[in-house]
Amino acid sequence: MEVLKEKIEEEEAAEREAEAEQAARRAAEKEREDTILNQEELIDLEQKLSEIEVHIPEDPVIFSKSTIDTSTLPPSYRANSAKEQLLLQVADNFARQYNHLCPDREPLFLHPLNECDVPKFVSTTIRPTLMPYPELYNWDSCAEFVSDFLTMVPLPSAIKLPEYLFSPTSVLKYQRGNCFDFSILLCSLLIGAGYDAYCVSGYATQDLCSMDLTREVCPLLKKPKEVAEEKEKVVPKKYTIKPPRDLRSKFELAQVAKKEAEIIAAQEKKRKEEEERLLELDKPPPDPMHGLRIHAWVLILCGRREVPESFFIDPFTARSYSTQDEHFLGIESIWNHKNYWVNMQDCWNGCKDLIFDLGDPVRWEFLLLETEKPYLSLYETEEEEEFTEDDGIENLDKEDEENNFDMPGSWVEQISISPKDFETRCPLGKKVIQYKQAKLEKWTPYLNGNGLVSRLTIYENVDCHKVVEIREWYKNREDLLEMRQVDKVSNWTTEYFKPGHFLALRVHIYKNMIPETERTMEFYYLARVDGLVKRTETSRSMTEYYEGRLDFLAYRHIDYGIRTKKFNINSADSNPRPLLKITERFNRNLKQLADDDVAERIFVVSEERILLRYHCREDYITTSKREFQKSNDVDNKGNKIIMTPDMCISYEVEPREHTKKLLFQYEMMMELKNQERISKHQVWESEMEVLEILKIREEEEDTHNLTVSIYDTKRNEKSKEQREALERQAQEEHMRQVEAELDYLAPFLVQLPPGEKLTRWQALRLKDECLNDFKQRLIDKANLIQARFEKETQELQKKQQWYQENQVTMTMEDEDAYLTYCSQAMFRIRILEQRLNRHKELAPQKYLALEEKLYRDPRLIEYLKVFV
Amino acid sequence: MIRLYDAIEPNVIDEELLKLAVEEQGPQEAAGQVAKQEGINFKDVKSLKLDFQNILRIDNLWQFVSLTKLQLDNNIIEKIDGLESLVNLVWLDLSFNNIESIEGLDTLVNLEDLSLFSNRIAKMDAMDSLVKLQVFSIGNNILDNLLNVIYLRRFKFLRSLNLAGNPICEEEDYKLFVTAYLPDLVYLDFRLIDAHTRELGDTKYQYSIYELKHRENQIQIKLEEEQANIAELEKHKAAYVEYLNGPYLFDSLYLEDIEAAKLAYLPGVPELLETYKTKFVAVCQSLFDYGLIQQEKRKAEVALFYECLEEALQDNRAQGLKTIDDFEKIHSELLNTIRNASELQVVDTKMNECAEEINRLFDVLMTLEMQLVEQLEESINSFERNIIDIVGVFVENVQGLMAQCRDLENHHHEKLLEISINTLEKIVKSEFDEDLPDDVRALFSDKDTVVNAVGASHDIHLLRIDNREDELITKVTSWCTAIVDKVHNDEHDRNRKRVKEINQYVDYLQNELDNFDFGDLVD
Repeated sequence: MEVLKEKIEEEEAAEREAEAEQAARRAAEKEREDTILNQEELIDLEQKLSEIEVHIPEDPVIFSKSTIDTSTLPPSYRANSAKEQLLLQVADNFARQYNHLCPDREPLFLHPLNECDVPKFVSTTIRPTLMPYPELYNWDSCAEFVSDFLTMVPLPSAIKLPEYLFSPTSVLKYQRGNCFDFSILLCSLLIGAGYDAYCVSGYATQDLCSMDLTREVCPLLKKPKEVAEEKEKVVPKKYTIKPPRDLRSKFELAQVAKKEAEIIAAQEKKRKEEEERLLELDKPPPDPMHGLRIHAWVLILCGRREVPESFFIDPFTARSYSTQDEHFLGIESIWNHKNYWVNMQDCWNGCKDLIFDLGDPVRWEFLLLETEKPYLSLYETEEEEEFTEDDGIENLDKEDEENNFDMPGSWVEQISISPKDFETRCPLGKKVIQYKQAKLEKWTPYLNGNGLVSRLTIYENVDCHKVVEIREWYKNREDLLEMRQVDKVSNWTTEYFKPGHFLALRVHIYKNMIPETERTMEFYYLARVDGLVKRTETSRSMTEYYEGRLDFLAYRHIDYGIRTKKFNINSADSNPRPLLKITERFNRNLKQLADDDVAERIFVVSEERILLRYHCREDYITTSKREFQKSNDVDNKGNKIIMTPDMCISYEVEPREHTKKLLFQYEMMMELKNQERISKHQVWESEMEVLEILKIREEEEDTHNLTVSIYDTKRNEKSKEQREALERQAQEEHMRQVEAELDYLAPFLVQLPPGEKLTRWQALRLKDECLNDFKQRLIDKANLIQARFEKETQELQKKQQWYQENQVTMTMEDEDAYLTYCSQAMFRIRILEQRLNRHKELAPQKYLALEEKLYRDPRLIEYLKVFV
Repeated sequence: MIRLYDAIEPNVIDEELLKLAVEEQGPQEAAGQVAKQEGINFKDVKSLKLDFQNILRIDNLWQFVSLTKLQLDNNIIEKIDGLESLVNLVWLDLSFNNIESIEGLDTLVNLEDLSLFSNRIAKMDAMDSLVKLQVFSIGNNILDNLLNVIYLRRFKFLRSLNLAGNPICEEEDYKLFVTAYLPDLVYLDFRLIDAHTRELGDTKYQYSIYELKHRENQIQIKLEEEQANIAELEKHKAAYVEYLNGPYLFDSLYLEDIEAAKLAYLPGVPELLETYKTKFVAVCQSLFDYGLIQQEKRKAEVALFYECLEEALQDNRAQGLKTIDDFEKIHSELLNTIRNASELQVVDTKMNECAEEINRLFDVLMTLEMQLVEQLEESINSFERNIIDIVGVFVENVQGLMAQCRDLENHHHEKLLEISINTLEKIVKSEFDEDLPDDVRALFSDKDTVVNAVGASHDIHLLRIDNREDELITKVTSWCTAIVDKVHNDEHDRNRKRVKEINQYVDYLQNELDNFDFGDLVD
């Protein structure tokens, strides 16, 4: 039946595709026909095109018993031990009683079949394991890992408990599972990490069961709640001055306030209506099976690992919910590796009223009588006793059976995750999550060549057509790019970098990479010599912010003019934008008087003016000012002007004597002229730096190399090579040792009858033979070298002869070849000569060494001793 | 080296010489021309060179108050004087002169580099005030006592010392001695002191240096203790209850009282005195404690007032700054439009607008100031009332406690009188059988003498107590008036200053505008 359905679906899809193609073709043809389509039509076309959707049916994910290779599984998977058998009997008994007592409730999830068709009790499927990865020690990262690592497979039937429950090891191996598999695995890890965790079997909403997050806001987009800062009410002190009398009319004020309040109320109302409307839109369509959909999740009770309050974890999405959350509609039973409890509380109101006091037998019916009952408070013990008396038979029965009976150990093998799998996380290293108005994609580090690890696409509205913003996170990039944010509406790109790059760039906001356009660069100013914090550019200005400079410069703003056209375009030097004005602001230097400490310095380059504004003195409200007018050096009579009083207009808060002097002003002006030159140079340097940064950024973006940690032995090519080299070396060393152990007497010993003791005569002969042989070898070797030497010499002579004969007719190339040959031959000859000499030198020594060795040889030593 | 300076006419530092030197050493080239035009003020000169001038006596340098560098080398100066007013001096060169003793340097607290090379100095001293001394050259003199080097230990920043050419350098341990006793020294005789020499010196003189250090430390500790005591006393004095936390006042009662000493020989009197003393001291102690508490209270009150005052002033200043900031933005815009305007009509209207803006600024600033003055006045008056109240309460209580003292004294007096009369009676009746010194026995010649003696003692005591009380009350009331006056005066000064500032600023703006006008018309 299902297969048929699939087929139909496929056919339908094919049809739709064909239709879509046709439509596109038609549209394209139409486009070709009237080439001058106006803008509106284009938009219309786009809209129409976007309406046509193609649904490619996905392969239905099948994860069933048949896909699992059961042959390699250990025996505990294939059979039940005696204790487990007993437990199953107990469970059956319990189920029978439960059915009898609560006939209208669904059957319990007690002992589903495992992958080998063997019934196993659910508690024994949990295998508490502490993983060797520190990331898995906390519940949030652990849940995230489980949700990333496994692919969700829906339950065979949404409203029926599954027949099979596979072991966590199989689930891990195939990286697939339903909600029960997810929960069991997560529970195993959490209990291993010390949490008081339980698997929960119950009912939940459709969204939760089908891992549908399209109605949830992406957690990355959630804004942190603003902590409302409570303004401390200032208690008026005894001598605080009274505010001046308010002379305005109280009535008028009241009227104005009333009007404003009305307007605000109206706006508020509108906003609320809008919100309500949006909420209405967001609400899921009514689900006919609401409250029947089976789901499994994890409960963590407070107490252990400093958990202050009990909460649920949804294993699909790794999100935590409070126990009162409305997504969870009811609980049938919960279990951990030690026991199994059935919920006896009414779930008419979801899980909101449930109390998780597992020691209370009225609320939670337990399967095994546990020895430790941490939650049982005193009065409840009494209650339980009463209960025992009332319902004597049943409980007596239970106690008889269960006295000293505890949960058998898990049949599952130890859970292990290889480091590679742990790093890869998601199956095939990629995962996509669809949120409300957003899509999150995740990749394993190093999977993408450019280091991309996750991308968040934000859409304009719920239908996810128009992209508003894209955020991309990177890892291990050589340029230390951490995140890139592209605003598709305004086209701004923002890049965030980690510290450690030589450019010390922190944030780069730009529209494009062309210089002299709008951009903002923020820097790690502590890493920079000049303490630059931020540089903002537009086409006509540049603003720089500094911090922590010794010259107290805090701000520099440059206004540019429009480029003038140059006629000598040939000249290589660039045509810089004309500087109009440089404004510099300084922080207060406490070592100087406020009247001597410049706060703002403006070089009006275009008007040849310099404006100075000084810092304000304490208790004063006006600041000293000075204005210099640079004029011509020569007055109208041709006399050289050095300094006139009208070149400097100044206002001083408190007139001082020495500042009135022309000399003072003259020196100051000279100094300022110098400063102006320096400032201009610095501006030029800044411009150059921007160009440099842009160039480097572009290059880096093109190459996007990834860095590999030196501790990452798998990826680090260099260390790998080194390691291999070391291994090779070790092997060679080994070989050499083997060689060194060669027995130089062996060839001679072979000639003698084996197994017999040597006679002295034989030993002497052996020694002599060995030595003679070695001597011969040495002589042979010398001869060989000599022969080669002679051959080389002859050849060279021949060649020389030939050269002399043909010298006249030879081309340059031939001559060159001859010369190189000569030099090479000479080299060879010289080497051979050296080798021969060395051999001659070493041969006697070697001979003596061998003789010595032979005397020492343990096989010969007793015969040769006499001679020594 | 002996110079035959008798043969040369000694020179005198006079106006002409100074002027020449200043001009020669002043700014050069273009700046020099400017300087020449308007003349150089001796007050502004930073450095002065008067070498090879045959000067005999340092004189007429009092005008150069901002001088930091003075060179008087290669003269025939015999005595250091006339440098008292050059307090900013950092660099002083007196080498190659005929100075015989170090003196007249007490005011030069900023001196860092001092050269007395080639003089006739026999002893280093009288330089205690040169705490910043870093480089000291006293080579080619006639220092003959190596122990004199220890004097230089007080200069914590001394890094370079030149002693070459003195008789002490002939001594064999000269180098080791100096390095050992001056551990912070880096250069001796313009040579870096190497670690080896230092080590040798340290080992050689380690015991004597240890002793020296120990002595220095002890002196230091003593000094600190004294300072702590003084500080404590200052604190008590500030509370006007100094010497009340013990038997000081009681002891002072009997300090000049001869009669009481005599009467103390009577039987029963020592016991009486003992109880009197304990009671009296207890009252004094409570007075002392009360005084300290009251002092804290006054302090807190004053601090609170100043805090509020500061807040108000800062607030006002922030408003003023903002007003001016806003104004300046508008103003500069207006000026720019005027500058760029072509039509006279536009210029005129803009000018008027500008003038209006200035007037408005003036009004706003003055209103702010007046408002502040009113607010502050109120606050100051309330402060005045409170502080007077506090002082009044204090005075009242002090008077009460002093009255207790007086009561004790009266009580004691009565008892003493009784004992005296009894004794007299006994003596008269010859029943008194204890030994008494003759002068005491002389008192008991007749009743009048005895009563007079006891009465005189009593009077002295009462007078003492009254004096102490008066002293305390006068001091505290005068403090009270002083602080109130100060607050009033400060406020007045502040107000004047601010008004002056506003006026000055507005005048400047007006002026600027007027000048602008003028320039424009010319064009």
